[in-house]
Amino acid sequence: MAAYTCRWCRATADAADLVSCPTCGAPVDVRDQVSRSGWYELPAVPDMARLQFGRSYCQIEGAYVPVADFNLAAGDGVYFTHHVLLWKDPSVAIAPMALAGGWSRMFAGLPLIMTDAHGPGHVAFSRDAPGELVPVPLQAGMSVDVREHIFMAATNQVRYDWFQSGVWFQTRQGDDTETHYPVGRYVDRFSAPGQPGLLLLHAAGNAFIRQLSSGESMLVKPTALLFKDSTVQMYLHFEHPSGTWRSWRSWGERFVWLRLTGPGRVAVHSAYDRLEDPGNTLAGSSPATRWQWT
Amino acid sequence: MDTGTRVECQWCKAQNTPGTPNCYTCGAPLDVRNVVSDSGWREAPRLRDMTEIHFSQSTCQVEGEIVPVAEITLAPGDWIYFEHHVMLWKDESVGMSVMPLGGGMKRAFAGMPFIITVAQGPGRIAFSRDATGELVVLPIHPDQELDVREHAFLLASHSIGYSYTRVKGLKNILFGGQGMFMDRFVAGNEQGLLLLHGYGNVFERTLGPGESVLLEPGGFLYKDASVGMDVETQRLSTGLFGGGGMNLARMTGPGRVGIQSMYVHHHTE
Repeated sequence: MAAYTCRWCRATADAADLVSCPTCGAPVDVRDQVSRSGWYELPAVPDMARLQFGRSYCQIEGAYVPVADFNLAAGDGVYFTHHVLLWKDPSVAIAPMALAGGWSRMFAGLPLIMTDAHGPGHVAFSRDAPGELVPVPLQAGMSVDVREHIFMAATNQVRYDWFQSGVWFQTRQGDDTETHYPVGRYVDRFSAPGQPGLLLLHAAGNAFIRQLSSGESMLVKPTALLFKDSTVQMYLHFEHPSGTWRSWRSWGERFVWLRLTGPGRVAVHSAYDRLEDPGNTLAGSSPATRWQWT
Repeated sequence: MDTGTRVECQWCKAQNTPGTPNCYTCGAPLDVRNVVSDSGWREAPRLRDMTEIHFSQSTCQVEGEIVPVAEITLAPGDWIYFEHHVMLWKDESVGMSVMPLGGGMKRAFAGMPFIITVAQGPGRIAFSRDATGELVVLPIHPDQELDVREHAFLLASHSIGYSYTRVKGLKNILFGGQGMFMDRFVAGNEQGLLLLHGYGNVFERTLGPGESVLLEPGGFLYKDASVGMDVETQRLSTGLFGGGGMNLARMTGPGRVGIQSMYVHHHTE
C-alpha cells in the first residue's frame, strides 16, 4: 500500500483514505503555500482532524480560536500551563508538575507550575486570541526552542526545560538604566529524549516556517518568533536608518531585530506583540551586529 | 404544501423548503452536516456571509465572517433590544428608546448594563462586537429559559422576554466568572430571534440528567436554565512557592451548555 509523507512534519502514514496527517493534522489534499521568499505557510489543520499519539489522540476543533481536545487513554497524559484549560471530563485527574528554578521563573513572569492531566477522559485547551494551532511532532532526539507564553500543551514523552535567552539590551535615561529582553528573559525548550512526542503551540494570527541552511541568516521581529530548532543561533541586530537626527533619541532612530542563523527551522507568527523600546541611549547589549544606513 | 418533504434544520428544528441553502429561521446551512467532536461538542453552525434570517415581519442579514455584523431590517411595529455599545450604525428612521428594567441599582453594582436599549422599526440597524468570533442564533422553544453570560448577548427580538437571574452561592459569584447575575431569556408564544456573540469559536453540548462537565468559567457562554452550575476549586500547590488554585465550573445536566474558545480568563489567585 502507498505511503504518504507529510510535508510539514515528515511523518509517514498509510495513504489510504487519508484526509490529514495523523501526526500533525496537516491536510494532504492541498498544495504547499510557499511565498517567493521561501516562507512555508502552515497548512490550516482541517476542522475535527485527529492527531494520534500512542493510544490517545487530539482532535482540533474550530477555525478562529481552535480548541485542542485530547482524548487521553488510561495512563496517558499531557501537561500545560493551567490558564489554557477550557474544559475537562470529571474523570481526568490534574495535578501540579513542579519546575526547578521557581524563584527565577516567578521573577521572570513565567508560569510557576505546569499542570499535568492524566487519562482516561477528555481535556481541552484553547488560548484567548485568534490564531492557529501549530502541532510540532518531535521525533526522538529532536528539540525546539519556543518563545515564552506560546506553549499550549505537550504529551508526557516531551521533556520541558528552559534557559536564559541571552538576548538583551540596556538603555539609559539620566541615571536610570533599564534592561530589555526582546524575546523574553527565558526561552522554553522542548525535547524528545527517548521516544517521539507531540508539542502543541498557539500562533497568534498565521504561522509561517522557513528552513535556514548552515550559516544562512535572516532578520525577524523578535516578538514574532514562534519557535526555532535548537540548532539555530539568535543574536540582536540594530539597524539605524539614514536621515534621522541622531541627537534626538526617538524610537524611530533604530530598529531592533533578531538575527537567526541556520542550520534549522525558524517559525514566526503574524500577530506579534509590540516591541517595547523607549528609544533611549543604548548602554549595552548581548552580542549584536549593527548597520547604519547612510 | 406537503410538510413531509420539508427539510428540518438540525440546529433550530425549523421546517424548511427543500433546496433552500440556509435555514429560514436561524440561518444555519442546511447542506452541511453537523460538525461534532468525538467528545460530543457540536460546533455552532457557521453562518454564511450574507445569510438572511427571518423573524416576525423583519429580517436579519449576517455580514462578514471574522467579526460578523448583524444587520436588522425592522418592519413597522417590530422592535429589538440590545446593549447600546454593540450598535454599529442605523438609519435615522429607526426610533430609539429604553427598556424599563427593575433592580437598576443591583444591576449597576453588578456591572451589568444599567439600561437596555430598544430600536423600533421601520428601518435598518446593525450590530457587532469588538472581537473575533461567531454570531450564534439560539433557538428557544416555548417555555424554555436560557441563561447567558453577561455582556454576551447581542440582540433579541420583541417576542423574547428578558430578565436576569442571580448567581447563587458566594463562591460562584466570586470565582464563577459571571459576576452576580446572568441574563435570562424566556421564549414567548411567537417565534423570536436571540443573537449572541461568542468570542472565537462556539460549541454546544447537551448533557443528560446528572451528567457533568468541568469548564473554565471564562469559557462559559450559555446554558439552559435546567443546567446547574457550581464552582469547584482545584488546588495546585508546589510547596515553598505555594502554587495556586484553579477554579472550574461544574455544569450538571440535563440541558444544553454553550462555550466559547476565546474565553475571558479570570485570575483566581
